[in-house]
Amino acid sequence: MGRALKHILLAAAILGIVAVSHAAEPIKFKLLAPIYVDGKGAGIRQPEGVSCGGNSLLVADTGNGRLLQYTMSGESWTPGPGIALPQLTYPIRVGVNSKGEIYALDGKSRRIVRVDPSGEFKGYVDFAGIVQGNVVPRSFRVDRNDNLYVLDVSSARILVLDPSGKLQREIPFPKEYGFFSDLTVDAGGDILLVDSVQRRVYKAEQKSSSISPLSESLMEEVHFPTAIATDARGTIFLVDQNGSGIVILGKDGSFRGRRLSMGWKDGFLRYPAQMCISENGTAFIADRGNSRIEAFLITE
Amino acid sequence: MTLRTKTALVLLAIFSMTAVSLSYSQDKFRLKPGAQGKVCLDCHEGFKEKLKLPFLHTPVKKGNCSDCHNPHTSAYGKLLAEDVNRICFTCHEGIVPGKARSAHKVVVEGNCVKCHDPHGAKNKGNLLLAGNALCAGCHQNLAKQVAGNKFKHSPVEKGCLNCHTPHASAKSLSLLKNDVPGLCVACHKPDTPAFGKQHMGYNVAKSNCSSCHDPHGSGSRGIIWGKPHQPVANKMCNQCHLDPSSPNALKTRKEGFELCRGCHNPMMNETQARNRVHWPVVDKRSCQNCHNPHASRENALLKEPQRSLCGGCHQDTIEHLDKSLVKHKPAQDGSCTKCHRPHSSNLVSLLDNTNPIDLCGACHDWQRHSSHPIGEKVADKRNRNLAVDCSSCHSPHGSEHKRFTHYDFKADLCVQCHEQYKR
Repeated sequence: MGRALKHILLAAAILGIVAVSHAAEPIKFKLLAPIYVDGKGAGIRQPEGVSCGGNSLLVADTGNGRLLQYTMSGESWTPGPGIALPQLTYPIRVGVNSKGEIYALDGKSRRIVRVDPSGEFKGYVDFAGIVQGNVVPRSFRVDRNDNLYVLDVSSARILVLDPSGKLQREIPFPKEYGFFSDLTVDAGGDILLVDSVQRRVYKAEQKSSSISPLSESLMEEVHFPTAIATDARGTIFLVDQNGSGIVILGKDGSFRGRRLSMGWKDGFLRYPAQMCISENGTAFIADRGNSRIEAFLITE
Repeated sequence: MTLRTKTALVLLAIFSMTAVSLSYSQDKFRLKPGAQGKVCLDCHEGFKEKLKLPFLHTPVKKGNCSDCHNPHTSAYGKLLAEDVNRICFTCHEGIVPGKARSAHKVVVEGNCVKCHDPHGAKNKGNLLLAGNALCAGCHQNLAKQVAGNKFKHSPVEKGCLNCHTPHASAKSLSLLKNDVPGLCVACHKPDTPAFGKQHMGYNVAKSNCSSCHDPHGSGSRGIIWGKPHQPVANKMCNQCHLDPSSPNALKTRKEGFELCRGCHNPMMNETQARNRVHWPVVDKRSCQNCHNPHASRENALLKEPQRSLCGGCHQDTIEHLDKSLVKHKPAQDGSCTKCHRPHSSNLVSLLDNTNPIDLCGACHDWQRHSSHPIGEKVADKRNRNLAVDCSSCHSPHGSEHKRFTHYDFKADLCVQCHEQYKR
């Protein structure tokens, strides 16, 4: 065997080992300081929604009936003023568009409230005259182009509205589904949904008008997933509310692992409600049962 | 004699000796003529009585005991040639069709002997008991209900197998021979005037009969389920459905909970006024996710008992409960609404009170059984935003520990907060 050939084979072997070890490398959650209080030192209570973008974090402080804003710098954050509105007494999901306008789903009225960056009430997202049938949003998401994706459980569909509020798409739920609790939009514009009852992830490809299963049923891996998030690489994170953990899936829906567990101390979860992942890979989890926001640096 | 010839002769001799010896040994262990099926009875004398039964399993009748039993040795009980739960399928392999829509649990599990005697019986098919008595052995509650029914469904009285198939059904759920209404209209002709009159002029030929009728009989005339919806009991179908003369008569007057709101407005308003709604209440199927709009055997027109109804979606909770060594009694009994409000609540987990401690206190006088400080003013040492309440120590559905605590009471529970005492 020629010397050159030996070198090539050796290099290929090393490369192979490196590639395999990289593929198998687990996703790690490094605990950062959790958020317990607002700017005045008052405690957060049963938060259910988080949204992060740029250097800001928005929290639905559900139990206190208000929104809280935090500005991040490095690994620390500065609380901003809270937003309490009579139209938003029980916020359960939050989102922010590129102009800093806030969208928040009120659990009590089951309407999506629009709030300007200064905290003023701007109105409701209005579906009258835009779509037929009753609309009850269970969740929503704002994508990077400010399109609004609404999970309408009343008429069993996803509504996609452009930034002006005009209906772009209406995607009916598939025939066989259990109950969709949350949706997200990945970097490629595909919509991902989590079915809490079937414990399965569904996907509607960009511009498609149908939803189909992405993952197998995750009966063995997850208890009752109620929220879904993706990172820049397309990795999928399911918030396992009753299992008090985070389940990680590959872009193709394959099971990649489970992180965190039930507990009261920092780094543990109790009935988590929602999760967001910032551009720098920091995951914020609305740790409802522990009345705090947990933060973790995700490393792969 | 050449070497080749010598070798051939030696080989021939060895072959002949082997053949003779094999033939001898086979003869030695071969059963005597006419002994098959009888030799076993030399020892198993009691079995002779069994052979007098009118119905015998074919191998038994032929005396082929070794079809199921290995006469010498076996890895399975009773010298069976295969596991007791699999042996029947070696001959009866197609008993559950590949595309069965429903299958009898005992068949799937291979518990054939729950219904059949593998050797012989007094009943056709080697059944242990004849007629409905066999089914009643397991389905005791149903048998009790059937026996007590004032209004009986005659096919049920005559035999379960009038409607059900015993092993598996390729056509329908619940082991039915055919789907409803196909099964029902075979006897109850929908095009007769009497049928039309009984159904208030609505064309229900393609409707689900068991939405109103209990196929096993009931205490109500027309074998309507025991707890009918008031409009059904009053034969006021048009209270919810369009008039029978309209082209789409079975369509409801309104969609979803808006229809139910017509009568149940105060309850609806109360539901909507709370912070957290049970999401199925406002989804597409709405009230019908949990309630049967026509009639039910359960209170509040629930489709099923709470354990299976709630467990239909919250299967993980039932799994957790089943795995728990110590269970909270209301959870074990399937009384979910003892602690949870099914429509809406102001509390997380739709708990049924303004204060979780008071909720537990409704049954448990916690101040007497425990002196541990508890309540809004007692901070949880593990988390500055939490106060100590019952769920700080107890897992409300159940756990692996005594008194369904989160951790072992003796070793781990208290030191979760009182770390200074950790050993």
